[in-house]
Amino acid sequence: MEIILDRPRCEGHGLCEEVAPQLMHLDDDGELVLDVVHVDEGQLEAAKQAARVCPVAALRLA
Amino acid sequence: MPGRRTPPGLTVQLERIVVVGHGIAGLTASDSLRAAGFDGELTIVGDEHHAPYSRPALSKAALLDAEEMTSHQLPASTHEARELLGVRALQLDPGLKSVVLDDGSILPYDGLVVATGSRARRLASADPAARRHELTLRTLEDALELRRRIVDKPSVVVVGGGALGMEIASGCLAAGCDVTLASHRQPMAQQLGRYLSEVFLAAGLDHGLRLAPSQAVGLREADGHPLVELADGSRLAADLVVSAIGDIPNTGWLADSGILTNGRLEVDSRSRVRPDIVAAGDVAAFPTARGVGRIPLWTSAIEQSKTAALALLNGDDAPELEFRPYFWTEQFGLSLKASGFLPLEGTPEFLEGGPGGGPALMRWTHQDSSGTAVALNYRIPIPKLRRLANPAPALVETPALVETPA
Repeated sequence: MEIILDRPRCEGHGLCEEVAPQLMHLDDDGELVLDVVHVDEGQLEAAKQAARVCPVAALRLA
Repeated sequence: MPGRRTPPGLTVQLERIVVVGHGIAGLTASDSLRAAGFDGELTIVGDEHHAPYSRPALSKAALLDAEEMTSHQLPASTHEARELLGVRALQLDPGLKSVVLDDGSILPYDGLVVATGSRARRLASADPAARRHELTLRTLEDALELRRRIVDKPSVVVVGGGALGMEIASGCLAAGCDVTLASHRQPMAQQLGRYLSEVFLAAGLDHGLRLAPSQAVGLREADGHPLVELADGSRLAADLVVSAIGDIPNTGWLADSGILTNGRLEVDSRSRVRPDIVAAGDVAAFPTARGVGRIPLWTSAIEQSKTAALALLNGDDAPELEFRPYFWTEQFGLSLKASGFLPLEGTPEFLEGGPGGGPALMRWTHQDSSGTAVALNYRIPIPKLRRLANPAPALVETPALVETPA
């Protein structure tokens, strides 16, 4: 599955980074960087949690 | 031991779990149950007719969304639970392990998640005719109604100077309304403390907010318009009244269940009311470093729900809730993020920027030596903000979990 970031929606809370630091991080300017876009089975749960915790639903999986 | 479904102390296998409440807490608990390996029958009961949504967005971006309102929409769920929507739980019998629903059906469970949230408090009004003028903002329907009502730029009285009231006031001003905020406390002081409340009040006044520094005690109607009665004897006339005076936990259906403590739904450090009942989100009073209480915030609901789900499945083997407060608000051009306990006493140490409403990174140190870090108009990811709040690395490692005999 693929992580899709809706960048204009992202408010830079970084709650996603907190639950899935292996998949994404906010850079020095507070912009979200997806370190992994295509997630494998072992990363799927973390990716789901990252999408779930975002209060503005800037992340989704497809 | 992940995957094990019989909590210590329970003799039955968890075949059926019922989640009552379909907000972010119920949703996260359901997701977490599945993620932890629960593959039994999962049923969610929700009194709203639609999918869960982001409540924080309703008073922020959603009030400002141009055409279609989308800021509140969450990604689709993957828990594949049976969802009973538009249905309300009326009663719990913890002895029989069943929940009575308002459609007359009875749901038996082996494990129960209580996530019924809370509802908006309203102004006392002896005048039923006046009630139609009073909106609150808690649900998606509330937000849609508020958006609809402010299109014509009515004059608005917002009652309550907390974060919600101030966000609503900010949204209404941005929509072109004339806005008066009735609050007997300095706005945001109770939430953030004196220092930051000054910054927010200045920003509000700068954006055209009017402040009525008195407590609203009642609501009347006169000539088809609402009148808010204030404790100082004066009255505020407006086209529309929006009350943001707190929330009341939805525990009514538990009144006869025997699981409430002095009217509150209290849980232990693993979000348990008892081994087969957990509770999470705005409805639950849970232990924190500052005592037992409800903390009705987004990340609070999510963290509680994860803890609750694991505790239902794994009992004492599940990790305790490690609650780390995170609060944010957007209003009057200010965006604030805070990691750590609030409110804040005294003045901050400035890590970046300086006093005023400009971009700043601040830190307060509490008496117990814990800290709160606040970013004001300053983009910073929460893991970094948390490290600034409590920079000293934890010296005490979490002891290895001791296996409890089942």
